[in-house]
Amino acid sequence: MVEPEVNLSITYDAVIIGSGAAGGMAAHVLTSHGFKVLLLEAGKKLPIEHELRSMEWPYDNRYRGELPPDRHSLSFNEYTIRRPPYGPGFEKSKHLHSYIGDSDYTKNICVDERENPYTGTNYAWVRARCLGGKTNIWGRLALRLSDYDFKAKDRDGYGENWPISYSDLAPYYDKVDLHLGIMGVKENLPHLPDGIFQRPQKLNCAEVTLKQGLQKMGRTLTQYRAGVTSEGLAHNKYRSRCYGRGACERKGGCDIHAAFDSPTGLIYPAMDTGNLTLRTNSVAREITVDPNTAKASGVRFTDAVTKKDYAAKAKVVIVAASTLESARLLLLSKSRQHPNGIGNSSGHVGHNFCEHIMGPGVYGRVKERVGKPPTLDDGRPGGFYLTRFRNLAEKHPKFIRGYGFEGGSGCSMFPPGTQAPGIGASFKEEIRKNQGAYIGMGAFGEVLSRYENYVDLDPNIKDKWGIPVLRFHYKFGDNEHGMAKDMADTAQEMFEAAGFEIVHINKRVLTEGWSIHELGTARMGSDPKTSVLNQFEQSHDLKNLFVVDGSAFVSASCQNPTWTIMTLCWRSCDYLADEFKKGNL
Amino acid sequence: MSNTDSFNLKQDRRQWLKTTASAVSASVLPLPSMAAETTRESPAPATGQTAKTAAESNPASHFFTPAQHTMVEELSETIIPADKHSGGAKAAKVADYIEQCLRETTNDEDRALWHEGLRLVDLMSKHYTGKSFVDATPEERLSILTVLSDNEHVTELPEVRFFRELKRLTTRGYYTSKIGIHDELEYKGNRILMEYVGCDDPTPPTTS
Repeated sequence: MVEPEVNLSITYDAVIIGSGAAGGMAAHVLTSHGFKVLLLEAGKKLPIEHELRSMEWPYDNRYRGELPPDRHSLSFNEYTIRRPPYGPGFEKSKHLHSYIGDSDYTKNICVDERENPYTGTNYAWVRARCLGGKTNIWGRLALRLSDYDFKAKDRDGYGENWPISYSDLAPYYDKVDLHLGIMGVKENLPHLPDGIFQRPQKLNCAEVTLKQGLQKMGRTLTQYRAGVTSEGLAHNKYRSRCYGRGACERKGGCDIHAAFDSPTGLIYPAMDTGNLTLRTNSVAREITVDPNTAKASGVRFTDAVTKKDYAAKAKVVIVAASTLESARLLLLSKSRQHPNGIGNSSGHVGHNFCEHIMGPGVYGRVKERVGKPPTLDDGRPGGFYLTRFRNLAEKHPKFIRGYGFEGGSGCSMFPPGTQAPGIGASFKEEIRKNQGAYIGMGAFGEVLSRYENYVDLDPNIKDKWGIPVLRFHYKFGDNEHGMAKDMADTAQEMFEAAGFEIVHINKRVLTEGWSIHELGTARMGSDPKTSVLNQFEQSHDLKNLFVVDGSAFVSASCQNPTWTIMTLCWRSCDYLADEFKKGNL
Repeated sequence: MSNTDSFNLKQDRRQWLKTTASAVSASVLPLPSMAAETTRESPAPATGQTAKTAAESNPASHFFTPAQHTMVEELSETIIPADKHSGGAKAAKVADYIEQCLRETTNDEDRALWHEGLRLVDLMSKHYTGKSFVDATPEERLSILTVLSDNEHVTELPEVRFFRELKRLTTRGYYTSKIGIHDELEYKGNRILMEYVGCDDPTPPTTS
């Protein structure tokens, strides 16, 4: 891998802030167009295979895979009882992490909450500051959005349509599928378009039973569409095909990179072009503006370790720091020309913040599986996806938009059922006999994009590097709570239809933010008064400023966003390269 | 014994909290294999002020005294015993795992709860069986912990909170051990798998 020296005396063609799904994709597309690119990442480059250790047995790990005792990760109760910032009250723990940072495999990937505080309403904000960001540990469900999402306003009158249609994105979804690899089964659903799939995994027997029960109800259960290569990628030497090595449900990623992550999938290949320069430990503080042209001129950043300040110059600035960090950076970048923050003449930066609501679901037992010899069920990236069925042909009286379920069943390394009542020989035998008999699923539903749900800068609190932090003004509304009730009801109904014994119906809504699918804080649109970006994720205010992550979303859909973030980004960067060559930026 | 409808843990504990090493009161519980009430002098409690001081004075070495460690071994074995199928919590060295967790934790409340819990369970044992927990028969031990298990929702009582922690760490330690994963569950995964077997779906796949 060629890694050019960082040279801050030159003007790069483009500087990208953030190295996750969006930043990695921008680096890939622009370097392939011949751009000289500087990629800034706030965190460090971790020895990621050493962090993940995907095949380590728990008994070979000092803490059996759990968080070392001098660290603490926030629980649902703590997120509920306490208000941010989440640092105070945990002084005994050397490091404090979000709920995802609760294993020995994610502890160095997730940020320390105390170094990175935030304020306002309760929010389980998961951040990964390291090369690749959250793609190192993402859930891998790789779904396409459809015109049921892009043109949702036409169907129910709510919110705004996207400034694009599925037909604009379809060719780019295809490119992403082929470049990164995706497993799945074609289903011919208008609301969940098929991709160019590699060999799918199979369902197990309990999942097939559920699928058959749902078919009678006209609902579709399909194999987990995973952003994982099952057949390998001839053009990528950094990633292996999936070998179903098991324990994929463990929090942590894939150390052979069969599951997509931004470094091996996008950044290392981009470096091989010789066009990409990477600087880690670079905490962006401000997008700078040329006082003469009023255009973006680069980025001012602080070295995370030395705390020294630097400036990078570029002809185009691409923000890909994650939905919330990107909004924060735009708001931080105040200048004479852009007093409300760069690219924020609309006043919409930080607003229309949306995501997925989760929590409701069901847990059941398949009697036919009780007492059967153990099977290998966790050697696959996920179980199943039960696709949206609400507000497609019919209108639900209580809420608009929809939700889908993720679920799975079968044996796992740590058995289910250890929290069942009882002790002794019968308790032990019950766990053994039932270890492969449980099936569960949980819903992800669209949270409506609302102007009133927003983030702004806290006037008082600063992070470890002296940068003002985000303040949340964000709550689920009536539509979300109506939907959550329906999620629990339909989950029960579907398990009953499949003939499963219901063990537990979960009606509890998890803390805002739990889905880690935050979106919409710099939305696209055709009207510069009500949107921040145009359909190519280009600022309405500054032609050479692009925001290419989840913040560009106009609505949340109920389908997981990562694949669409990368698809939009690819399309936008193609447009950017074209405009750049024409001298229009 | 698992039917404790007539038994009120909150009321009964007033009695056993008064229990001393030598004074044995009649049990209200239908204990199995309680041969006869014994007036034998029980050995000194496994826990107590001496043990606590020892652990606190040298937290880097051991959290449990040898006697406490033995008691934790029997407690964990009571929750997950050896059976015909595989070894139990004792063979899986669950007590060592719990010892390490408590030795390294920064949570003083957890540490205090364990000391208090061991003391209270020993008092319960003396009240109901006339013996310390370690000297009680496996059936008697099961009876005592079943009282706590059946009352696991009564979280205001320290012995219940202790029991919940004991069960959580015992299952955690056992099912992450070699014996738990390989002997007991016969776990098949975490190895190279060329093709996931799954289940053949009899429904014809959709064609596009």
